[in-house]
Amino acid sequence: MTDNLFLFARIAGTPIAVRASEIEAVVRLGDIVPIQRVPPHVRGLAALRSRVLTVIDIESRIFGRPMKVEARPLAVVSDISAHTYGLLVETVSDICDASGGIQPIKGRIDRAWSPFTAGLVERKGRSHLLLSLADFVSTPGTGAKAA
Amino acid sequence: MKRMTSHRQAKRMDEILGEFIAETLETLDVLSGEVVAWEADPTDQSRLDAFFRFFHTVKGSCGFLNLPRFERLAHAAEDVLAAIRRGERGADPETVTAVLAIMDRIGALSRNIAEGDEMAIAEAEDDALLDALAPPAAVPPPASAEATLSHAAEIAAAPAIVLPREGTDADGIDTATGPEPLRAAGRGDRAPRTIRLPLALIDQLMNGISDMVLARNDLARKMREREADPELEGSFERLSANVADLRDMISKTRMQRVDRLYAAIPRMVRDLSRELGKKVHLDLDGGDVEMDREMIEMVVDPLTHIVRNALDHGIEPPAERERAGKSETGMLRIVSRQSGNQIVIEIADDGRGINRAALVEKAIAGGLLTPAQAAGLTDEQKLQLIFHAGLSTAAKVTSVSGRGVGMDVVRANIEQIGGVIGIESRVGFGTTFTMRVPLTLTIIPGLIVRSGNHYFAMPRGNVVELLHQNSAMVTLEEIGGARIATIRGEPYSLIDIEDVLGLPRTDDQRGPRTLMVIRSSLGQPYVLGVQQVESNEELVIRPASPLVTADGVYAGMTLPDNGQPMLLLDAAGIAQSARLPLHEARQPFAGGKEARASARAETAQALVFAERDGTRRLIPLAIVDRVEDIEPTQVAISDGRAFARIDGRLFPALNADGIGHETADEPLKALRLHAGREVICYLIGDVLDIIEVPMKVDVALNAGRIAGLVMVGDGQLEMIDPFALFAEVARDAVSPVPSAGRPRPIRCHIVDAHDPWMTGILAPLLNRAGHDVSFGPLENLPAAGETAAPDIILCADEGVPGAAPAPVLRLSDSPQGADDGGEAVYRYDRERIMAAIVSLTGRAAA
Repeated sequence: MTDNLFLFARIAGTPIAVRASEIEAVVRLGDIVPIQRVPPHVRGLAALRSRVLTVIDIESRIFGRPMKVEARPLAVVSDISAHTYGLLVETVSDICDASGGIQPIKGRIDRAWSPFTAGLVERKGRSHLLLSLADFVSTPGTGAKAA
Repeated sequence: MKRMTSHRQAKRMDEILGEFIAETLETLDVLSGEVVAWEADPTDQSRLDAFFRFFHTVKGSCGFLNLPRFERLAHAAEDVLAAIRRGERGADPETVTAVLAIMDRIGALSRNIAEGDEMAIAEAEDDALLDALAPPAAVPPPASAEATLSHAAEIAAAPAIVLPREGTDADGIDTATGPEPLRAAGRGDRAPRTIRLPLALIDQLMNGISDMVLARNDLARKMREREADPELEGSFERLSANVADLRDMISKTRMQRVDRLYAAIPRMVRDLSRELGKKVHLDLDGGDVEMDREMIEMVVDPLTHIVRNALDHGIEPPAERERAGKSETGMLRIVSRQSGNQIVIEIADDGRGINRAALVEKAIAGGLLTPAQAAGLTDEQKLQLIFHAGLSTAAKVTSVSGRGVGMDVVRANIEQIGGVIGIESRVGFGTTFTMRVPLTLTIIPGLIVRSGNHYFAMPRGNVVELLHQNSAMVTLEEIGGARIATIRGEPYSLIDIEDVLGLPRTDDQRGPRTLMVIRSSLGQPYVLGVQQVESNEELVIRPASPLVTADGVYAGMTLPDNGQPMLLLDAAGIAQSARLPLHEARQPFAGGKEARASARAETAQALVFAERDGTRRLIPLAIVDRVEDIEPTQVAISDGRAFARIDGRLFPALNADGIGHETADEPLKALRLHAGREVICYLIGDVLDIIEVPMKVDVALNAGRIAGLVMVGDGQLEMIDPFALFAEVARDAVSPVPSAGRPRPIRCHIVDAHDPWMTGILAPLLNRAGHDVSFGPLENLPAAGETAAPDIILCADEGVPGAAPAPVLRLSDSPQGADDGGEAVYRYDRERIMAAIVSLTGRAAA
């Protein structure tokens, strides 16, 4: 059951999970060329071999403050509606099966996170917020509903 | 195990169906070129056989694939063709039309299946087509026979144009392995050896080659840093040449023969000339020229439009041609050829030519030209009027709702892909249009421009001229905030790239800045100032994410050989975002009058229209999305609110009072107005004109839907207040704004300079209330306390990141969003917005 395969990572100190089917690769990006006149969460463009990634700052999309980026930041590469994006994450811990699948959210979730999460995924006894990458390149909620 | 097998069978079945659809569409594509020849000589056995074979194959496959609907249609057509082959029935035009209608229906159904929407056309609609196939004797009286015919032609016309765009390309392209053209296939000649490849594979190959080129460049750089080694360099040169060859070859797999572009034309000419009662001989040449397949798709619409125009307006009816001493049959000739890295497509007719006097008259009537100016026009300039946006006022604004109509749209489409269009016309002898388009869409010559350490690409096709700012031919001036560059006596609007993109000015400016004279599809050229033009390169352009292109200033992205991604600038988008007055609405051939340029800088376009009761009013053109012809039956009233049904969607409608069946004769049009996500319809009687009006109304009124009065010519017209319209639809109480009259206007700063609601609706409202409005990101604002610091910052629901130098007012787009947060205001609550601005800025209302 590949449907239960998730990438586990961290954004703004929060453990998150993303369906492996949404992901093409996890890479360290080179220089990010900033772009003017775009929404603040669009960090810029980065080259990945001969491809050009549009770099998205997930943290900025969620909290409205730009993520602190080190020299060669980690990014999750994903093809979304025929365009390739690199979505910045703090760390990546694992790609593995979560036998429990997607669980409904327990407790009251932070307002900033709520438009982007559709459930929880458990790994090694810890809960991870399930995100859909497509949400960060479109209007919030559309990707999560489609899932 | 058993399940596996059945699963595999189902998959196999899907594959077979997919192949059947692809083959059917492909054959249809080929056959559509044969149709006209067959009709000209219905006894031509080989063509008849080709059609017969098509229906026979479809019928055979359908039984197997369980597609009864296809089977029924194909069977009926096959029967008729069999009768013709046996000589029992003649191939009269009605029969041919009926058979073609069946062919088109099969094509349409195939496409529907491919798109997964099998029921898009009701099965019952097939009956009319099948009835039309009946022998002439069985057809009722002539009047209704004609109706069937025109109905069939109507169905036939639309798919014939779409065909080349939705053919086999959807999932694969044919790669010819031999020099033989594909078109031979229909006639039973030996077909060329081809294979089907998924498009994705070709794209992957292309990417692989690009990776290789980058690696080669990297290697070359490293080699230069080391000591020279002739032996190594020799090997590297060889490798390098191989990579370059390979890149060329892979690019060729994207190429397709212009035949594809031609495929639908014979059929269209046949249908149209019958409809118009004209005789036309069509001559197609140069079908073996190759073009990028994306480019072919971009050219289909303009070509179709020019051909339609030639048939409709160019070529005369037979009787008129005879009177003029020409042969009864008109000639339409389309020739394609390659010229350097361009494809030239000429469309020539031998019709009546373009009547300059009528064009000029129309231009004068439309206020584009004064009679004095018209007198000074050269013949060439008069002809060019045909491409003039302003000429397609009133009547044609309506048709924009359909497909791109009007020569201005054709020109814009061609220029958008980096092409040019020219025209030659001799009265009485005919007209020739010449389209020149680049070979490929994806590789274009571009200029790399720099500002600080930001680099951008500009398509070379958009650049007319490069000059240094300190050139003797250039004078720069600033008047009333507008910047003007006068080059050889010709004034241009001037903008700097830093201002457009909000970049800081750099200190490392050595030497003069460079001015680029930019031509865009919008109209008059303008001047874009950049720090420096770095180089001139062939650029591989890829589409950029919608997040990047949404703003309109970027057209795509590219990865030059140095490996640093770069954005391609959109010449028209830049002019639009800088709000340059480029529309040629008043002065198509303006002389060197700076004052005029600056006067126009503060105007906006407005649509003059007649309300349903005939009153003439104005509405800002910027918020009019399109004009629709609408039937009273498309308007429905529910719970006291009116809605207009357009293209299967319902939009809130204003001015719907009293519409119903009893008003069926009343002329009715709908202005579709948009403000970001909201769309409403404003029902009117007719569209009259497009004019330039001052940004500020001459007399401000805050009375309901009227923003104020604008002087137009000798009279004055009421200007509609779009805010009021949207607010009315949002069902909010609208009351007049508190009167202005404060010692100093409140300076409102709008962060989202690209939000149409903010700029098009909120900003004028604030202006009318006596406030000053500025736009832009927060970073560029002066700190609090400085003289130019804003008093209040307005933004959308998300708020602003970071600390703001002034109080922030969030405007929510739903009443709920406004309530639960507490600090936001619903954006159609005019009173609360105004009150919040006053209270947040800490001043008492007057």
